[in-house]
Amino acid sequence: MSFFLDLIVSAILLGCTYTLVAIGFSLFFGVMDVVVFCCGDIAIFGTFAILGSYTIMQGLGVIQSWPLLFIILSLLVIGAVICALLGLFTYRLSIKPFERTSALMPLLSTIAMGIVIKEVIGLFFMPATNGLSRLFAGANAVTVVSGRNPQGFPSLLSLGGSTDVRDAIIVAVTIGILLLLFIFLNKTKAGLAMQAISQNKELSMMTGINVHRSIILTFVIGGVILAIGGFLLGNYQTVMSFDNGAMFGVKGFSAAVVGGLRNTWGAILGGMLLAFVEVFISGYVGTAYSSIVAFIVVVIFIIFKPEGIIGEKTVEKV
Amino acid sequence: MNTTKKLPAEPLLVILANVIIVTIVYLMLTLNEIPSLIIIAAIILGLLSAEKAGFVNYLFAMYIRHKKLAFFSVLICVLALPVLLATQRYTAHIACLAAIYAMICLGLNFQMGSTDMVNFAPAAFTGIGAYSMAAVTVNMGLSPWLGMLMAIVFSCLAGLLIGLPTLRTKGYYLSLVTMALQLAFTQLIKNIPYLGGPNGISGVKSLNIGDFYFYKSYHLFGVKLAPQIPLLILCIGVLMLMVYIAMRINITRWGLSLNNIAQDEVAANCLGVNCDRQKLFAFVIGSVFCGIGGALYGGLASFVGYTDFTFARSLIYICMVILGGMDNPVGVVVGSLLLTVIMEKVRSFADYGQIIYAVILVTVLIVRPAGLIPKRVRNYCQLYKFQLKRGEKTAEAPVEP
Repeated sequence: MSFFLDLIVSAILLGCTYTLVAIGFSLFFGVMDVVVFCCGDIAIFGTFAILGSYTIMQGLGVIQSWPLLFIILSLLVIGAVICALLGLFTYRLSIKPFERTSALMPLLSTIAMGIVIKEVIGLFFMPATNGLSRLFAGANAVTVVSGRNPQGFPSLLSLGGSTDVRDAIIVAVTIGILLLLFIFLNKTKAGLAMQAISQNKELSMMTGINVHRSIILTFVIGGVILAIGGFLLGNYQTVMSFDNGAMFGVKGFSAAVVGGLRNTWGAILGGMLLAFVEVFISGYVGTAYSSIVAFIVVVIFIIFKPEGIIGEKTVEKV
Repeated sequence: MNTTKKLPAEPLLVILANVIIVTIVYLMLTLNEIPSLIIIAAIILGLLSAEKAGFVNYLFAMYIRHKKLAFFSVLICVLALPVLLATQRYTAHIACLAAIYAMICLGLNFQMGSTDMVNFAPAAFTGIGAYSMAAVTVNMGLSPWLGMLMAIVFSCLAGLLIGLPTLRTKGYYLSLVTMALQLAFTQLIKNIPYLGGPNGISGVKSLNIGDFYFYKSYHLFGVKLAPQIPLLILCIGVLMLMVYIAMRINITRWGLSLNNIAQDEVAANCLGVNCDRQKLFAFVIGSVFCGIGGALYGGLASFVGYTDFTFARSLIYICMVILGGMDNPVGVVVGSLLLTVIMEKVRSFADYGQIIYAVILVTVLIVRPAGLIPKRVRNYCQLYKFQLKRGEKTAEAPVEP
């Protein structure tokens, strides 16, 4: 019985991280009508940015002297700023040029962008971190070894060495972000503008909404959410590799599609469903088959219910 | 430039063009890293400016006017390539790889270029072909020709299997289905002990006719040939056949209906195109091309492992098709040749391989989404004038290396 409960707990935790990425996908899809495929890689970039800053901070000696909460917050701010910038960069370079072309062009260009981001981490994480670390801390510098190998992520959230606290924090943070996003989307003017754009771009332009500013705001918010998702994933998995992003991104996209691409609640349901399938298959059948079964579930969903769990059916008009 | 204008010495020009093309390909293959990359850059810039000046169109028109001469001179020039590369093992290997990748990209082109269904699983189809070859020759110890047959049968079945869901989906959803199946395929291959699991299968036999093996070093006129040479000739032959098939399909009603589906499926339905059948056709013929390429790849590398059939590899094939030019068989072949050579020449910076592909893909998509040699307007007028004059039944497009 306790094995069963353990599985449920880890499924919920995995589902939380999938949900955050899936929300990134559905935010971008809602506003831009394109699939931004490098969401997973942006999140992993955030994870590595946080890891790098942590290493530099270790060298500076602030980890020992500052309070833990302050450290976590400053790391999150760094990660969020970097991911937001990366989101804007992605938008400028691989989505804006394809506004008037077929919808599959941005898909391909963002996939290529994801590879660029992934390889940049793999190639430059170690030299950049070590260089900056030496620059700031001089002789006390703490360095990382071999950026292409998996990196250990500091267990910042497991206070007193227990993972229960960490698990609770992960779930709480996810719920908090979802609530904030819900309030933002439904109660503020900027959020309502984003919803209007997702329903009808031309009409919202006519009513005086600054579409360009809203799109930029979406990418900033999406980047921040992805950074937090990456931070939570790092804490949950404890070991991160630079090429985790592609798989993470495909899972997040699958979760968004299974739930319903335009719907934020669908992203939660889809993420949880995918995580439960994956964790239970790996618990009872074997780890090797978890991804296979998860993907087969996704394929079956797309074939028989392409509009997702939540989501109205669209009829094609001529 | 007016494509109907005729120059006096056109037959000579056709032969000259073929010789120049083969010389450039030979230099590109054999030179060292830096000169070879300079040649590739020159080719890309040259193709872009030639396309702008209408020279490529003129060349195509010229080939169509003199298609018999063009065909035989291409055949001779291309078969001169193995002779020129006779003693260079590594270069012959690259040439084989380029030919095999070109086959796979031609297959992918049916789905991605003609029908606008971005298929993210060409590597999975290739893997099915390669693993059928390996299982038949190594695990069962049977003839490689049976392996080739099995590769065709299994990739055909896989094409049907992946093609069926696509009848109900389109756009992103179709891409996600193929992506999911590609990732599942890699995981599945890793976990089947019969197929060697993560270690793959080594010792895959190449094709043979009696005592003549296609992957073996022979002595000819006292010169020791590289072992890849017979296989290179075979690959070039198969590739030319495939280019011919692709071009024939492109100009017939079937190719037109594929383009029609890409532009507007509802309109295609109204015009009486059987969309389901055509989409399945695009998937099946594409996957058969990939499967044959995979079987030859298994014979060339004499080892199959899951690392050669991953999602990253699929992206490389997609990149080749987009660089060369979607829906143009000649463009696809050029794109795969260029990218293969780039990849082999920068092998010393293996870590940078993927980033190079990705940067090329983003650049091509932004700067020139149609590719180096974009698809052409089908010039039926010219074809039929030719046909009436000669009183011939066939109206075929030219074949180019």
